[in-house]
Amino acid sequence: MTNTKVVRKAYRLNLNALRSQEGVLFGLLILIVFVLSLLSERFLTVNNLLNQTRLFTETALLALPMTLIIISGGIDLSVGSMLAWSAVMLGFSWQLVGLPLPLAVLVCLLTGLIGGLINGALIAYVRVPALIATLATLAIYRGLSFGISQARSVRGFPEEFAFWGQGQIGPFPTQFLILMALVIIVHILLSRTGFGRWVYAIGNNEVSARFSGIPVERVKLALYSFSGLMAGLAAFIFTSRVTTTRADAATGLELDVIAAVVLGGASIFGGSGSIVGTILGLLIITLLRNGLLLAGVKGDATFMTIGLVLILAVLVNNALRKK
Amino acid sequence: MATNKRLVSSLSLLVASVVTLSACAAPPPAAPTPAPAEPKPAADLPANWKAGIPKNAPDRKGKKLVIRDVPKLIGIGYFAATTKGMEEAAKELGNIDFKTDAPTEAKIEKQIEFLDNFITQGVDVLLFAANDPVAIAPVLKKALDQGILVVGYDADAQEDARQFFVNQATFEAIGQALIEDMVSQVGPEADVAIVTSSLTAPNQNRWIEEMKKYSAAKYPKLNFVTTLPSEEDQQLAFKATQDIMKTYPNVKGVFGLSSVAFPGAADAVKQAGKCGEIAVVGLSTPNQMRPFVKEGCVKSVVLWNPVDLGYAAVYAARALADGELKPGSTELKAGRLGTLKINGSEILLGPPFIYTKENIDNFDF
Repeated sequence: MTNTKVVRKAYRLNLNALRSQEGVLFGLLILIVFVLSLLSERFLTVNNLLNQTRLFTETALLALPMTLIIISGGIDLSVGSMLAWSAVMLGFSWQLVGLPLPLAVLVCLLTGLIGGLINGALIAYVRVPALIATLATLAIYRGLSFGISQARSVRGFPEEFAFWGQGQIGPFPTQFLILMALVIIVHILLSRTGFGRWVYAIGNNEVSARFSGIPVERVKLALYSFSGLMAGLAAFIFTSRVTTTRADAATGLELDVIAAVVLGGASIFGGSGSIVGTILGLLIITLLRNGLLLAGVKGDATFMTIGLVLILAVLVNNALRKK
Repeated sequence: MATNKRLVSSLSLLVASVVTLSACAAPPPAAPTPAPAEPKPAADLPANWKAGIPKNAPDRKGKKLVIRDVPKLIGIGYFAATTKGMEEAAKELGNIDFKTDAPTEAKIEKQIEFLDNFITQGVDVLLFAANDPVAIAPVLKKALDQGILVVGYDADAQEDARQFFVNQATFEAIGQALIEDMVSQVGPEADVAIVTSSLTAPNQNRWIEEMKKYSAAKYPKLNFVTTLPSEEDQQLAFKATQDIMKTYPNVKGVFGLSSVAFPGAADAVKQAGKCGEIAVVGLSTPNQMRPFVKEGCVKSVVLWNPVDLGYAAVYAARALADGELKPGSTELKAGRLGTLKINGSEILLGPPFIYTKENIDNFDF
C-alpha cells in the first residue's frame, strides 16, 4: 500500500516537469533505483549495472522490433522459439554440417530472418491474425528446434567465440555496445523517418492507412522479418554467452519482451509507444529483479512485485491518457 | 513521394541489418578478456587435477559461511528434499547462513541469473544442480574467479567449473543394489529379465553392465534370460513384461530400469495376478511407485535419498571452507552419514537408498 502512495507522489511531482509517459517511467525508474540502493549496497555499482546488461541484451534486442510490431497493432509471440531455432541451426551447421563458425553465425541470422519472413507473409498476405499466426509458429519453430537438434545440445565452441556474449570492449560488455547501436538506429527509424510514421499510422487505423497509400503489407512483412533477424542476432549472442545451444532455450521469453514493451507505454491496441519507453520498461523490470534478489528477497516474491509494478504502470498510464 | 518514403524505409531497415551482420561477421579481436592465468599449481595438487580452483579465496576456516543453493528449480518435491537435508546440515554445523533460491522452472537462463546475482551479493559458497553442464560453466567459473567456493550435487557441470561434486549414485553402486535387492527376493538361483528404456540409453546400459558384472562374480546362477526395450513408454514396458512372462514361464524376477519401465513392469505383473510370484525390482521415484509398494506388488524401490544428498553437499562446503576437504582428499566426514569416499573430485554418497512400505511415506517426489 505504501508503494502505491509513493508512486502516486512521484507521479504528482513529475507531472509538471515531465508530462510524457516516458517522464513517468523515468521517475519510476529513479525511484526504484533509489529504494533498491538502500536495500543493498552492492546494487548501485558500475560492475553490477554493466553485468546486468549481459543478462538483458537478448530480451532487449527482441523488444526493439516488438515495440514496432505492437505499435503497428500486431504482436509476435514466436520470438523465443525463433531464438531457439536460430541457436540450434548455429550449433547444427557448425558441428554437424561442419561449416566454419562465421558462416554458421550467418546461418543463425538467416534462420531468424526466414522465420520472421514466414510470420510476415502469413500475417500480411495470407491475412492470418498476428496473434494466431505467431502462436502457431511459436509451436512450429520450437518443434523444429527439437527435431533438428534431436533434443541434444551442441557444445565445445572455441574460446574466442565467447567474445560476443562474455567478452568486453573497454569497460563495456560486447553485446551491450551492439545493443546500444541498434537502439539508436531503431529509435531514429521509428521517430524520425517516414517509415516510422507509417508504423504509427497502421496501428492507429489500418484502413485509412491503406487509403492514404501506405504499403501496409510490405511494412508488416518488413517488421516481422526484422523481428526474426533480431531473434537470430539474440540467438548468436545467447549461444556465445552460455557456450551451448539447446532446443529449449528462451522458452517463454516472449512474455518478458512483451511485458517490457507494454510497461514502456506501448498500447497493445496499436498506435502508440516508443523505443525510449521500451528501454525504460526493460530497465525497470531488470533492475527490480536484480535489486530485489541482491537484497535477499526470494525469487517468487520478486516476480510478484514485478507483476504489481506492471499493473501499476498501466494504471498510471491510463490516468495520464485521460487528462 | 511515396517511392521516396519507401526507399528511405527499406534503406533504413537495410542499414539496420547490415550493421547487425557486420557486427557479427567481423572477426573477434584476439583474446577478448585477458587469458585466465593458469592457477598456480599448489605444491600439494595431485597430478591431472582437472576440477576448478577458486582464485585468491580468503581464509574461511571456522568463520561464518554464507551458502546459497541454486538447484535446477524450486517448487518440486525432489529439490525440496535436498533443501531439507541442507538446512539440517547447516543447523547441525551452526555458523552458516543458508538459503535456497532458484527459478520455478528448470530453465538454464534463469538459473544463470540467480547464480550471477549471488556472485554479486558476495556469498562464500555456491551449491548447484545444473540444468545444463556446459551452459552453467561460464557463470560458475566467474564465481571461482572471485574466490567463491563451488560445489555441485545431483547434476554436475563441466569438471573445471566446480571444485567438488557430490555424486548421488555411481553406476556400480546402483547395479549392486539392484542385484542384492533381487536376490533377497528370489534367491541366488533364478531366471530374471530386464526391461530397460531404450537399448542405446547410456545410463541404463552402464547399469546393466554393472549388474551383470556383479552378479557374475557373486551370484553366478542368476540367469539373465532377456533384455527388452520400453523406449520411455509405459505401455511398451507393460507389453514387454507380458511377453517376458509368456516366453519365459520360469522367470522369477523382472528389473524395471527407468521411472517408466518400472511401473509398467509392475503393472503387468499385477494384472497377470502374479504379485508375490514374480518379483519386480527397479529404479524409480517414490511417488511413481507408491501404489505398487503400498499394495505389496513391489517390495522396494532403489534410488538415492535426496535429503542425504543435500546434507552431504553442505558438509562438503564446510569442509572445503575449513581446508579439510581439498584436492587429493580421499574421505569426507559428513555428520550422520559417517565418512564418505571421494573419487577424484567426486564425493560419493554411498550405497543407494531403498524405499520400502515402511519409509516411502516420508518422501514426496
